[in-house]
Amino acid sequence: MRAVEAARGLLPVRRVVRIGVTGLARAGKTALLTSLAANLLAAGAGFPALPAFTERLAGRSFRAALAPSGSGELPRFDHHTHLAALADDPPHWPARTGAVSLLALDLTIGWRGYATPLPPRHIRLELLDYPGEWLLDLPLLTQNFDTWSAAALKRLDGRPEARDFLAFSHGLPATAPADEPLASAGHALYRATLERQRQAGLSMLQPGRFLMPAPGPQPPWLAFFPLTGSSPLAGLMEDRYDRYRTQVRADLVAPSFGQIDRLVVLADLLTALHAGPAAFADAAAALSDTARALHWQMRLPFLPDWMSGLAPLFGGIGRVAFAASKSDHVADRQRGNLANLTATLTATPHVESRAFAIASVRCTEDLVWTLDGRPISAVRGRVAGEARAGRSYPGEVPDRPPDAGFWQHPFLALPNFEPLRLTLAGRAGVPHIGLDALLTFLLEDLL
Amino acid sequence: MSETRVPPRFELEPGSITRLEPEQLPAIVLPSAGGPHTLGLALSGAGVLIAGLAVLDAGNFVADQFARSAVLGWATLGVAASGFGLIGAGAWRELRGLFGLRKVDKLRAALADPAQVRKAALDWLATLPEGAALSGAVAATNDPDAITALLRAGPAATLRARADALGRTAALQMFAAAAAVPSPALDGLIVAWRGARLVRQVAELHGMRPGTLGTVMLLRRVLTGAISVAATEMAANTVANAALSNPILGRLAGDVAGAGVAARRMVVLARATAAACSPLGTNGS
Repeated sequence: MRAVEAARGLLPVRRVVRIGVTGLARAGKTALLTSLAANLLAAGAGFPALPAFTERLAGRSFRAALAPSGSGELPRFDHHTHLAALADDPPHWPARTGAVSLLALDLTIGWRGYATPLPPRHIRLELLDYPGEWLLDLPLLTQNFDTWSAAALKRLDGRPEARDFLAFSHGLPATAPADEPLASAGHALYRATLERQRQAGLSMLQPGRFLMPAPGPQPPWLAFFPLTGSSPLAGLMEDRYDRYRTQVRADLVAPSFGQIDRLVVLADLLTALHAGPAAFADAAAALSDTARALHWQMRLPFLPDWMSGLAPLFGGIGRVAFAASKSDHVADRQRGNLANLTATLTATPHVESRAFAIASVRCTEDLVWTLDGRPISAVRGRVAGEARAGRSYPGEVPDRPPDAGFWQHPFLALPNFEPLRLTLAGRAGVPHIGLDALLTFLLEDLL
Repeated sequence: MSETRVPPRFELEPGSITRLEPEQLPAIVLPSAGGPHTLGLALSGAGVLIAGLAVLDAGNFVADQFARSAVLGWATLGVAASGFGLIGAGAWRELRGLFGLRKVDKLRAALADPAQVRKAALDWLATLPEGAALSGAVAATNDPDAITALLRAGPAATLRARADALGRTAALQMFAAAAAVPSPALDGLIVAWRGARLVRQVAELHGMRPGTLGTVMLLRRVLTGAISVAATEMAANTVANAALSNPILGRLAGDVAGAGVAARRMVVLARATAAACSPLGTNGS
């Protein structure tokens, strides 16, 4: 694999590497993209913005520049506006993005030793803001309609947000006809349920395109909902579900949204810990199902399972980084636990993956706080809108899925700290935690 | 276990604070031997001995001449002062050449700083003959990236085109020389001489007048910068091909081994020197 990459690097052509950045809702995708681009540009200008990445380069020359948009179909990620918002005084968090966008950077990496005189390698790094909602469609590829319906209805059972939909679903006769009005009414109720669950902080919301539809007019086959039984209506729902899966598969290999070489999956596990056992279990299930579904690539029924491990050689997602975001809200000592917790939830076969605890834009500094006579590792930051410093110790972060004992003590909500000041308006990089290690892992085989 | 756990807490500190600053990341420092190199020390010592003893010797000689006769003394003093004055003038020019390089470094740093970019750009434009035409546009632009783009498209592109022209001329001369010189052993000497001259020409194009020492420093920088300029190898080939597109020269290129390679090197050298002398660095190309 390494030899193949090295041989590719010698060719006088620009290699295009597409990194999909996705994540569960409100995990900080926009901040990650902004910080990643700013720090790569800063590292290219000689600032020590990404120490682990620079160390990996081992003295080789490195330059980075924003690539022109060209004539592509995807909207360009507005890096300058987002960075300016962070650099502003007082700073603002980048606005939440609601559409797919792309940010491309041209990287130029020299050689070392006797190979120094060789022409440098050119890599176009495309960072694709991949909708987090769509990520949850991946598990559908390996589930038939009956399996998915049973799991979805089980998740909804007892949830207050699903009361109307469950009443409708339970009220359907066993021989419900395949009528369009019935299908539309059930779909509208199910979609409203998903919206309410998203507002309640839940993550496992399938199908993802119900919440983030693809651009363009909505096709009729999108109107389905989970339904068990063998009624004609269930048959219609199954047909539409299968059509939906075909579209998901097509999108994954489409030149615009698909063809992703590497993937970053972000999750705000600290907020999930605060939201309680149900929300955490939901986020954990979303992450685990996604991780399991990531070997969709090259999964042809006539090929033995071991061959899917060769998928990266033929294209497809070669590396996946699972990252717990906002790790600057807990002390350094607990970030290891956060990374371990993420790793436990995201073990995935067939794809090279690693778990990280990162903060795309650092807001705090570590401090030792004496609480109840005991020194505790905590963090300190400037509270947004207050102009005062706040000290925060939200609780212990477990290094594995928490047991019942953990939930006896509340895990505090994360305070709204404002980002640290950006040196040279962000041109010297954006303060972060662990972003250099994440980037080095993603591009390791190319460096 | 849970009884001994410290309950989570959040507290606001009294009094307002300014925005928190990031911790300085450790700069990556390459190991250094510490202090000047041995050869540098030895050469400095030799220089001090040669210059110092020469001055002392000349002083003694002038004093001796005054002892012999006032006329002889004044004449010797005049000769010594003229000689040392010329040496001093040469040294001053060398130093000015070195300062010119340092000025480029300062300008480059200022252009990378969003707070100083406009002033630095205007300062640079003021030193260029066609700079006045672009000054108004730079003064009216607020976006640092837009200012850099203006410089890149304007003076940097013009300077690069002129450096290319110088490189093409040198390439043609190298080609002719390689074809005309009877001994291949002389080729290397000609390449070295023409390369050094090309470096000085491109430096002068950028408003510098490097002396011998300045040229050596510039060559050293060009060699370092040539790694990143190697990216332009293909572009340089295109320029060289255009320069040698004459059918007769093309035929000769096939006949005279190494002539084409040396000619292409001149084009790359011109580009690398332009990158080393330009306040925009390799970003200018």
